[in-house]
Amino acid sequence: MNILPPPLTQAPPARSFWQDFRLLAATQLRLTRNKLRQWRLRTWLFLALPTLSLLALLIFLGETAYGALETMTPEIGQGFLSLLFMAGVISSIFFGVTAAFASLYMSEDLELLFVAPVSTRAIFAVKTLSVAFSNLLGAGLFIFLPGLFFGLLLKASVLYYLWLILITLGLLALGTALAELLNLIVMRIVPPHRSKEAVGFIGAISGIVIALLFQIPNLIMSSGVGLDLAGWLGSQQQLLQVMNWFPWGWGALALVSGSQGSHLVALSWSLLTLALATAVFVPAFLLVERGFRRGWISLSQGGSSRKKAKARKIKPAANGIAPVRAWDESLALASPIHGMWAVAKKDLLSIKRDTREWFGYLTPLLLMMFFVGRALFLPGGGAEESLVGILIMYTVMFSGNMALQSFGREGESSWLLNSVPLAGWPVVWGKLLAAVLPTLILMELLLTGTAIAIGLPPNIIIAMALGAILISLGASAIGLFYSINNCRYNPDVPQQRISFGATIMMFLINLLFTGLLALCLVYTFPPAPLMDIIQQLPPMDFVWGFPETLLYLVCLLTRPLTWAPALRVIFGLAVTMLVWAAVFFGFMQATVRQSRKGFRVQLATSFKKR
Amino acid sequence: MENVLIKTENLTKRFGTATAVNGLNLEVKAGEIFGFLGPNGSGKTTTIKMLTGLLEPTAGSAFICGLDIVKEPAKAKALLAYVPDQPKLYGKLTAREFLALMADLYRIPREISRQRAQQLLAMFDLENRADELLEGYSHGMRQKVILAAALIHQPRVLLMDEPTVGLDPASARLLKDVMAELARQGATIFVSTHILEIAERLCHRVGILKEGQLIAQGSPEELRSQVGSSESLEDIFLELTGSAEHDELIKSLEGNGR
Repeated sequence: MNILPPPLTQAPPARSFWQDFRLLAATQLRLTRNKLRQWRLRTWLFLALPTLSLLALLIFLGETAYGALETMTPEIGQGFLSLLFMAGVISSIFFGVTAAFASLYMSEDLELLFVAPVSTRAIFAVKTLSVAFSNLLGAGLFIFLPGLFFGLLLKASVLYYLWLILITLGLLALGTALAELLNLIVMRIVPPHRSKEAVGFIGAISGIVIALLFQIPNLIMSSGVGLDLAGWLGSQQQLLQVMNWFPWGWGALALVSGSQGSHLVALSWSLLTLALATAVFVPAFLLVERGFRRGWISLSQGGSSRKKAKARKIKPAANGIAPVRAWDESLALASPIHGMWAVAKKDLLSIKRDTREWFGYLTPLLLMMFFVGRALFLPGGGAEESLVGILIMYTVMFSGNMALQSFGREGESSWLLNSVPLAGWPVVWGKLLAAVLPTLILMELLLTGTAIAIGLPPNIIIAMALGAILISLGASAIGLFYSINNCRYNPDVPQQRISFGATIMMFLINLLFTGLLALCLVYTFPPAPLMDIIQQLPPMDFVWGFPETLLYLVCLLTRPLTWAPALRVIFGLAVTMLVWAAVFFGFMQATVRQSRKGFRVQLATSFKKR
Repeated sequence: MENVLIKTENLTKRFGTATAVNGLNLEVKAGEIFGFLGPNGSGKTTTIKMLTGLLEPTAGSAFICGLDIVKEPAKAKALLAYVPDQPKLYGKLTAREFLALMADLYRIPREISRQRAQQLLAMFDLENRADELLEGYSHGMRQKVILAAALIHQPRVLLMDEPTVGLDPASARLLKDVMAELARQGATIFVSTHILEIAERLCHRVGILKEGQLIAQGSPEELRSQVGSSESLEDIFLELTGSAEHDELIKSLEGNGR
């Protein structure tokens, strides 16, 4: 123990705020550097795709905006800039809330830093800087770049760009401060033990908003009507005048004045924007710091504030002690259906209680709304029958995809289902039930709702509803098989539960399954042109040889189409059910077999091992 | 420097209407290992968090080396170290980088901190993996890193919340030796634990907290004489915290097992 030096007798000399700030900022940079170094090549590649899409969107919007600016009067140009700046502030608030939540509430280093002899202001200054940094993209896209192009278009003087920098900083600070204030409310609402879930939830909302934003160019082009920004803005004079009462309007006023050489006016508006940003930023910063210090915002790693569940009363025995039973032989005889339902209930509760799971269901709903809206409201949006076709295809893919998540959901708790005496069909059927029930309810509602909305006959609607049940069960069985053999768990991305290859394979097998069912259904619902061809085919005799045998087989398969309608329909339904049963029970049996052998959730990571 | 290194005066913390810690008065002297015991939810962690400055008290004061933790936090924190119950670290730093960061935070000159980090890494048997990211460490290894980080700045007061959780027997033994050595050198160790064997064998004095109030304190021998029996600390603890009412149930379970 001689390596332990004696304890300090005096505290070391104090350090300034800036020294603490520099030290913490350097640590933050080191963390980011280490994180980026650990990224795999495929993570970079995955990042390239959204970056390229974003660039394409930017070029499109930039061209539209730049073209519009050329035709605008200074007043309308000012209004246009106000609108863009407002979008910049809103995007800063929107993304800032997520960033603030992650870097403050979800932060795992706050406890460690609070105990260290560093100023809490320095800690929160670095945290706020990282929130502001994550807002840079929004501020750059909606505030700095439009201002820069506006200046270049009007050949503004150098001073103009100084005002532009001041305005960008002011609006960025304002957005960040408002995001931190909003985040305070979020932190009061979300209990610490659900913080990770909340980040997933906010992230998913952001994803959906971004996905919908990317549809704007598509919608504009589909509508066949050009976007006349200048004309639209010209008709919104009142709205543009209201903008002058807000900081984004002041920013636009500063830039327009600056571009016209009125630098004193530009300076005044810039300073006013900065002053307001400071007036909001300082109290927000102090409130966050005080909240954590006083404990009215609990650290996410602290104790949770879960509601206490009502204690269940156990009937006491005569001696006042709760009855504790030793092993009872009759318990071994309990039906495995209890186990199956327990597995299903566990999964259903997990889906219900984890808001991130809802997005698996919400995303197709939103996408379908987009398709339905397009089919119903846009000219040439697509035939109604093809809409139902899309919905059926979606039922297949959606069911398969939700079932794919099943075994990966076990994550680090997979030992449990592997160690209980339930392996085999109780586990697999329980998983199937949990995967199918919510999917089926959602897709049945979508299918029947859409079918009614577009006016399909009732018998077709009933047939579709029944078909959806079979399709959903079949696709889910395929999904379960791939899930049990390829499940994985990524602690960084808990929703990533399956390998990419397995997803593709599952989709291909499901396509094949749907194709086979569609072929079998041709006997029941034969297309008129096919019937015409079949009627004209001459009778065929069997002749040896590969092409001849193949041709004979095809002819043999078409023979039932010539039967009496009742016989043909019954045959069609029987063959369809046979194919369905073969696929459904085949995949279920294979999954049950694997469950008996035991399943392994592979631990995945987004980063390289060092 | 005063002889009393940890002192609380009427220390109270309320969360809404619930009182987690209620008027706690405590004194721990230099060279003392103080065991802080209590059932789950009795307010141990809240007390430690107030002593470390992680939580501001609703009423009362806490002093570390005579410095009010609320009024002079930076000075007080420079003299203490905290070992939390959960070893949450920066996953994207290596153990060596983490120790360097802690040394920087506690204002230790670089040349000294490098040498001390090396010694501590060797002491806790982490040398071979010192340049690996902490995210790849097991729970026990992270706990060792936390302990090494707590010792790097020669703390005068060491606040530990369940420090032995996740440690293998050899590391737990090393920790006990370190605690004894630091106390011998005049540091104060304040350790919250559920392992009563540690409290009985290692602590000079123990305090028992129940529902936010200190219901007993003294050396294990003093507690025995207070209760008036020669029972183990476990029995005394169960009796004082009211857990003895479960005795009958435990006995009935033992009866079933036979």
